[in-house]
Amino acid sequence: MSSSLSPLLSATFWEDGYDHLVEPVHQRDAQARRHLAALDVSVFDGNGKRLLDFTVDPRDEVVDLDGLLAGPLAGRGRVLVLFDARYDPQIFPYRPHHYGYLHRRGSPAPPLYYAVNAVLGGVPDRIGATGMNNFETYLFRQQALPARHAVLVANLSRFTTAEVQVTAYYGRSKVLERATLPPKLHAELPLPAEREGQPLERVEIKAPFRMATYVIGRQGQSGDLVLFDHLFTYFR
Amino acid sequence: MTPPETAGYGTAVSSRLRTLARQILGVERTPTYYLPWLTRPGLDCVLILSNIESRFKAGFNEGPFRLTTTQYDADGHRVGRYDTTLAESTDVAELPLTPAPPGYGFATVEGERLHTDLYVTLTTPEFYTATHGRGEFVERYPRRARAAMALARGALAPLGRTLPAFVRYQYVYERADSRSHLLLMNLSNVENGVRVSAEWSGRRLASRLVPIPPMGTRLLDVTTLTGRIPVARLKLEANAWFNLYVVGAGPRDLAGPLSLMHVK
Repeated sequence: MSSSLSPLLSATFWEDGYDHLVEPVHQRDAQARRHLAALDVSVFDGNGKRLLDFTVDPRDEVVDLDGLLAGPLAGRGRVLVLFDARYDPQIFPYRPHHYGYLHRRGSPAPPLYYAVNAVLGGVPDRIGATGMNNFETYLFRQQALPARHAVLVANLSRFTTAEVQVTAYYGRSKVLERATLPPKLHAELPLPAEREGQPLERVEIKAPFRMATYVIGRQGQSGDLVLFDHLFTYFR
Repeated sequence: MTPPETAGYGTAVSSRLRTLARQILGVERTPTYYLPWLTRPGLDCVLILSNIESRFKAGFNEGPFRLTTTQYDADGHRVGRYDTTLAESTDVAELPLTPAPPGYGFATVEGERLHTDLYVTLTTPEFYTATHGRGEFVERYPRRARAAMALARGALAPLGRTLPAFVRYQYVYERADSRSHLLLMNLSNVENGVRVSAEWSGRRLASRLVPIPPMGTRLLDVTTLTGRIPVARLKLEANAWFNLYVVGAGPRDLAGPLSLMHVK
């Protein structure tokens, strides 16, 4: 493998019962010749225990996560799926991005197309990067919403435990939650819909280095995912 | 704020050619933040406006911030203009958009010292979802360039072709209980011929030329190109700057809850 290759570390979460597809490269050329140099996938349970490792042919256009995981991981609940890719920056003038498609089978909810969260930290040649983007925000409509919201946070580092602060804002009050995440551990932190009569307005995540994060919304009755979005990073 | 990412849509050579062509035609690019909008009976489309990303940025974090939102309908007509003032960078304002027929288009948001991503939300009594807009630009072609572009488009359109000045790719998926649509947005002041062609496993499925008026939008049902095959790769070519959002639909298709997704 060429030493000029750049690393790309990304993560998503798989749950049983969902069609879940991931495009290793979103913006293809006409013949889909442009591809990653390598793509390894690892799967971890909620305790950070490694469950599976496999290699994806980087020429594959679409990875059927559910097809790969539903059999061996039936009944496991939600797992963290880590994509460890390498790409040639001469082929990709901008950093490639994985995209995904998510839909619970049989659900009346619409499918969700989403950008797989890329985590630059945790890859050796990025650790010294300045302007670490480890402070993220997401806004909500300021009314009672027909969904239960939460943040999914995972620590993809190899060696370092992280303390993650999740602050939810309700009008002039806020609620701070802390989670300690050893490497490869993940957590779903619920965001109460209201506090003292004020609706959830915004959430912020702070961490010592970049976590894999999503804001999720589950439909009130079924629990089906109706929101699976990245937060917005700011350089502080 | 999401930066414009155009470098990946062609080789360095074609990028230089486009730059040269823009200079010859006198095309101006106005930095513009835009978001799609989509309304249906029972489906509310509300923008979340803020300048929250600026709250740590000196010179950008002291209000008030005055924002102007312009809503364009599917044919590029202005159907709404809304002024909003945010007292502080952490203030948030919600802007419900007018459900102008046929129920989709895009909106632009302007504001001095506005430096943040803005959200577009879709809400029904049972579902809520959201995505964000894009900070890119709108292309303005001078009169002579518009005439030249119309000539070129007129020559190619009968062949089902367009001048492929810009190219994007998008994967789309179909399942028994889900559908996908594209919101195609013409981000220019010339008529834009967007040619959408679908293929999978080396097999060409179908193609269609979608003419879009200046600042207009079209909603394309992907199954009209792909049938109901589970996955297809779309190639989109256009004679002027454009972008797209993917609209996800459940088993009730456009009559049910919908999702929106930005595309890089």
